[in-house]
Amino acid sequence: MRFTSVLYRRVRKYVAADQVGELTKTYSNLPDRYINRVMRQVYHVYPKGPQYTKVDQGKDDHFVFGPERPWEYEFLKRNNPADYSRKFKPPPLIEPIKNWNIFKGDRVEILVGKDKGKQGIVLQIFQEINSVIVEGLNTYLRDMNQGEGNKFVIKQEAPLLVNREVALVDPSDLLGCEVEWRYTEEGDKVRVSKRTGRIIPIPKAAYETIDFKTPTSYKENPNKDTKEADVMEVTFKPSLSTFEMDIMKEQNIEENRIPVKSFWY
Amino acid sequence: MHKLQSVTRMPLSCSMFLCQRHIQMLRKFPIQKVAAIHTTNRCLDLNEFFDEHKNWGASEVKVGRAWKKEELRLKSSSDLHKLWYVLLKEQNMLLTMEHDCKENHVYFPNPERLDKVQDSMENLEDVIRERNIAYFELETTHTGERPAELIDNAFGLKEVYTKTEYDIPKEVNKVWQEKNPPVNNKSRAVQKFLVLLREKLANRRYAQLAKDKQQVARIFANFKDVDAEAVQEKFPNVDVEEVRLSDKARGNWAP
Repeated sequence: MRFTSVLYRRVRKYVAADQVGELTKTYSNLPDRYINRVMRQVYHVYPKGPQYTKVDQGKDDHFVFGPERPWEYEFLKRNNPADYSRKFKPPPLIEPIKNWNIFKGDRVEILVGKDKGKQGIVLQIFQEINSVIVEGLNTYLRDMNQGEGNKFVIKQEAPLLVNREVALVDPSDLLGCEVEWRYTEEGDKVRVSKRTGRIIPIPKAAYETIDFKTPTSYKENPNKDTKEADVMEVTFKPSLSTFEMDIMKEQNIEENRIPVKSFWY
Repeated sequence: MHKLQSVTRMPLSCSMFLCQRHIQMLRKFPIQKVAAIHTTNRCLDLNEFFDEHKNWGASEVKVGRAWKKEELRLKSSSDLHKLWYVLLKEQNMLLTMEHDCKENHVYFPNPERLDKVQDSMENLEDVIRERNIAYFELETTHTGERPAELIDNAFGLKEVYTKTEYDIPKEVNKVWQEKNPPVNNKSRAVQKFLVLLREKLANRRYAQLAKDKQQVARIFANFKDVDAEAVQEKFPNVDVEEVRLSDKARGNWAP
C-alpha cells in the first residue's frame, strides 16, 4: 500500500502555471504546458541524465504578478532574473478571496478615487492581483515618449481591487450592491443581490475567449484542425488484444515464437 | 536532382525565411519555367518539414486545442497509430519552423501549437498504456509494464528502482553482482547522516512556517475585515486564529 501511494501520488506538473488564475487561463485558451514554459523562461530543455546540469532548466517559481498576462513581455520584465534589486523587495500583499463575484462584461460602480460613484463595464480581469479594469474610468495619463520628435500621452485605466474598490450594480435599481452565491431550485449556482434578493445573471462576455465568442462560433482551421465529426466518430471496438497485437494483425505480421523465460532485477 | 525539383516550386520571395543552406541550393539549381496543372497534391519531400507557404511570416496561425483523453478513447488502435505519426510530423514541422524563425530573427507565430501537439502525444500514449494494462491484468493478473520497486538506497533514502530484464538469474549473474555490490545502509555513518538530514529538513519547515505566519499577520494588519476562512484555505499549516489575535496582526485602526 505504501509502495503504490508513493508511485501514484499526485505530482504538481506545472508549478508556475498553477499560480495563474483560472479565469486568465480560460480566456486565453492556452495550454498549461505553454504558460509554464513562458513564465519560467525555459529556452532549452536538457535531456535527463547525470551528465547534464540543471542550471538552465528554468527560473525560480516565486513570481510577482501585475496588471498584465503572465506570458507577456511586461511580466518577464517584472520577473527579470538579472534584476538584482528584485531580491530585496518584499513580496506584494495579496488578499485571499473565497468567491470571485465580478466577471468580464459586468456593470460595476466605483467606490474610490476621482471617479467615485460612476458606473462602467468591466473590460479585463487580472485574477492574480485581485483586480479588474473598468472601461474609461479610473484613468491616468501615461507618457508614451519614444525618443525625440514623437511625444504623445495616452489615457490608461488603472486596475481596481475587486472586493474593495468596486461594487456590482443591481439591475433592478441600478445601484451598487453586495453579492451572495445561492442555488436555484434547478440546482444552478447564481449571484444574488443581498439588498433586493434579485438574481444578477452572468453576462455572455464572461464566457468569451480570445479565439471565439462562443464555442459553437469557432471557425475551424481547414488545414490544421481535425473536423468535429471525425473527432466524435467511434472506431474503437473492444477486443482481447493489446495495441501492438492490433497493429501486427493489421499489417499481417505473424508472431508464433514463445519468448524465453527472463528475469527482472 | 529529382527530389530537389520540388524545392524550386517555392516563390523566391519566401526564400528569405529559409535557412542558408536552402538558399544555396536554390542558387545551385535554377528554377524551372514550367507551369503545369496546379493541383493540391501531397508533397512527399523535405518541404514537409516546413509549414504551408501562406503561413510563412504570418503574425497569427489560429488552431484548436489538443486532443483530450476522452476523445482518444473512442479511437481504434490503428487510428491511434496513424494519429501518432500525424502528430509527430506536425511536431517536427513546428520545431523546424521555430528553429528557422530563430535563425532569421523572425517572429514565430503561436508557439503554443508545439505544446498542444506534445500534450496530445502524451495523452495518446496514456490511452494506449491504459488499454495494454487492462489486457495484461485480465490475462496475466499483473500490468505488463516495466516492474519497479521502492528501495532504500545507499544513503538510506527511499528511491524507486526500475528493474531490468536479464536472461539469467541474479545469483548467477557475476557481471551484475560486481556492478551492484550489496550496500549497508544501516551503518552508523548513514544513521548519523539521516539524523542531520531530518534536522535540516525540519529547520527548513519551521522557517517556512514562520514566514507564512508573518505573511498572515501582514494580511490581517493591512486589510480590514479580511475573510479568515479564505486565509486559512491559502495557508493550511498556519493556525490563523492564533495569529489574528497576536500583536503583530493589529492594524493601524481602532479596534
